Amino acid sequence: MKTFTSRFLGNPRVYLGLIWLGSLLFVALTADFLAPVDPFAIVGRPMSNPSAAFPLGTDSLGRDVLAGLLHGTRATLLIAVLATLAAVAFGTFVGAVAGYYGRLIDDALMRFTEFFQTIPSFLFAIVLIAVLSPSAANVVIAIATVSWPPIARVVRGEVLTVKSREFVQAAVVAGQGDAAILLKQILPNTLSPLIVTGSLLVATAILVESALSFLGLGAPDVMSWGFMIGAGRSFMREAWWLVTVPGIAILLTVLAINMIGEGLNDALNPRLADL
Amino acid sequence: MRFVGRFAIAVLAVGVGIGAFAAAGPAVAQKRGGTLVQVTQPEPPTLGSYISTASPVGQVAAKVYDGLLEYGFDLKPIPSLAQSWTIADDGRTITFRLRPGVKFHDGRPFTSADVQFSVMEVLKKVHPRGINTFAEVTAVETPDPMTAVFRLAKPAPYIMSALSGYESPMLPKHIFEQGDIRTHQNANNPIGTGPFKFVEWRRGEFVRLDRNPDYWKPGLPYLDRVVVRFIGDTATRAAALEKGDAHVAGLGAVPYNDVKRLERLPNIQIETRGSEMLSPVVELMFNTRKAPFDNPKVRQAISYAIDRKFVIDNIWFGFGRPATGPISSNFAPTGLYSANVANYNVPDGVERANRLLDEAGFPRRADGTRFEIVHDITPYGEEWRRFGEYTQQALARIGIRATTRYEDVATWLKRTYTDYDFDMTSNWLFNLADPVLGVHRAVHSRFIRQGTVFVNGARWGDARADELMDLATVETDATRRAAQYAEVQKIVAEAAPLAWVLEVNFPTVIDRRFRDVIVSPLNIFTNFDRAWRE
Repeated sequence: MKTFTSRFLGNPRVYLGLIWLGSLLFVALTADFLAPVDPFAIVGRPMSNPSAAFPLGTDSLGRDVLAGLLHGTRATLLIAVLATLAAVAFGTFVGAVAGYYGRLIDDALMRFTEFFQTIPSFLFAIVLIAVLSPSAANVVIAIATVSWPPIARVVRGEVLTVKSREFVQAAVVAGQGDAAILLKQILPNTLSPLIVTGSLLVATAILVESALSFLGLGAPDVMSWGFMIGAGRSFMREAWWLVTVPGIAILLTVLAINMIGEGLNDALNPRLADL
Repeated sequence: MRFVGRFAIAVLAVGVGIGAFAAAGPAVAQKRGGTLVQVTQPEPPTLGSYISTASPVGQVAAKVYDGLLEYGFDLKPIPSLAQSWTIADDGRTITFRLRPGVKFHDGRPFTSADVQFSVMEVLKKVHPRGINTFAEVTAVETPDPMTAVFRLAKPAPYIMSALSGYESPMLPKHIFEQGDIRTHQNANNPIGTGPFKFVEWRRGEFVRLDRNPDYWKPGLPYLDRVVVRFIGDTATRAAALEKGDAHVAGLGAVPYNDVKRLERLPNIQIETRGSEMLSPVVELMFNTRKAPFDNPKVRQAISYAIDRKFVIDNIWFGFGRPATGPISSNFAPTGLYSANVANYNVPDGVERANRLLDEAGFPRRADGTRFEIVHDITPYGEEWRRFGEYTQQALARIGIRATTRYEDVATWLKRTYTDYDFDMTSNWLFNLADPVLGVHRAVHSRFIRQGTVFVNGARWGDARADELMDLATVETDATRRAAQYAEVQKIVAEAAPLAWVLEVNFPTVIDRRFRDVIVSPLNIFTNFDRAWRE
């Protein structure tokens, strides 16, 4: 039987995804060094074609598109990852409590979850931003608020199956408290589907963030890819690179995350272990 | 003492106004026939232009209703339903001689009773701006069916600028006097004296207006029909114009960048005249009761720091001129505009701004900044976002760190005009037909009115400027009035409660087959009576 590592890394698509994400992470960490300017700074003639000074040209106000792209990597990834972490934390809490205690608590929490699930998530995010006013923190809150229900569902289902196992019953007999049983016995055994769902959620979060920024509802002082597309769309015919370059960045990143997510799924799924 | 006998004959010719300034058009003979399709965005909520000043309403209703007067690009009045007029020496009586033989679309004659009803019962009571415009009108007397005499408590020279069919439509009394004017059923079935008759409003699609064969201007209108279409999608609107399915769009119906693209097409022409009686001015408004903007030097510094040409060329696509002060240069023909004010549009603006901030007691700190502010961006879309981002950069150069805030319209209005919870906000105000109507509200301390929107949100006031504006409100002598406003502009520009950035010239996209579409300072708030198709 192959190990998780060999099954995960043996997958060429995972490799490609990891390479892309790794470079993004590198760019995100070193953006200030790679492009040591404020991405909002007006540095050149507006709408310059790509040239040596500005490899990706400048936008309608004369801002360096390359600098925007590099700094945008950081903002886009940070917002997406934070939103996902928040969604996973809250979703896991709700799902675990619902699954473990069952009965009324389960019913109440699941109806609560369904309430959020039935609202079209992107529209809901727009409404939240409109109410909270656009800022980086509020974008994270909005994305997390619309993304946690699937996590809660997945975790609840897993907890339901795991909690009837013998080792859990043994823990109960051994006198462990509810919190200890949940945290130490049950949750570690629900990790694999959680990791897969969570990783795919990052991709969704990037898309939601970009869409919000595109509509002008993103954080106003943060240069993100969606913002660049939104600001450049009026000039698609005159300066195609303004929207195309960040658009490709979003496409590749979402694709890379999906490939990694699927790779994780394949590697963590015991039924596929020997294939 | 009676003033009636002492009418000053300050009057224009009788009835020759028709076509008097069509000289701007080509030398070809105008042709009858054709349908003009105007694109209006968004669809108006009502066609009652006597009760709503929303832009789409006027774009449709101005074709149906005439006013007492029309206006030329020089903002001077031209006879319309009023053939002639006299203003008494004391400015408190205006007598209009009405045009005989004018009929409403239902065949009933237009008389002075309709003028009296429209002004006293409708405009003065329910029109959002008419309430102010006609505040001094105590009565409209009707000595005979063809004479209407306005009696004023105080002189109000600005009334003569506010009598167009768009601003002050003349309604048929016999129809609108029945029932409540606020909810009148004929709001959406308008009956006026204008060149086009209302035929049909298919919601979500179009309003159809057909030629009025009995129009009082002989031989006009040239067009058989005007159709106002409502197309929700921006790209589809531009495509309709590009293909020639629609022929006229203005006042923001087509975004500036699409205007630039359409301009290059052989079948399209762009007209930038026609904002002279609207005069939108883009500005930054400071909260002058709050530090640091309670210091005029800080406000002047920001006024200096904005590169107006950059903003016009790169954000407003070239459709504007640098603004110099509280009154738009569109008022130059009337003498009310003065360029003799503090000039903030100078090449060394950044140095001057830095110097002023040093003097004001805001030295640069170790990180190069002097202080932080929040800049609220007018939530009207793209160009305002870019303007906010540009301003942020411009202020960074003089050591002011501005974070931007972008909220929905209602929240922004409440923050700015009710809570006064802002440092600096971008905004635009329309100067309209006269400074009394469009400028006083921004800089007169009487207009510091908590909860009222688009007034003096800067909460700035100056006793001398107030006094001068009060004098100019009732001053009937044009030269004296000009002198008063010149001083007002000097005082206000020096104090800089706002930083005036640019005067927007709305581009109107017009199909080349149509001529004489924009013939007045009211853009497409006009009736197209002289428009014709090749």
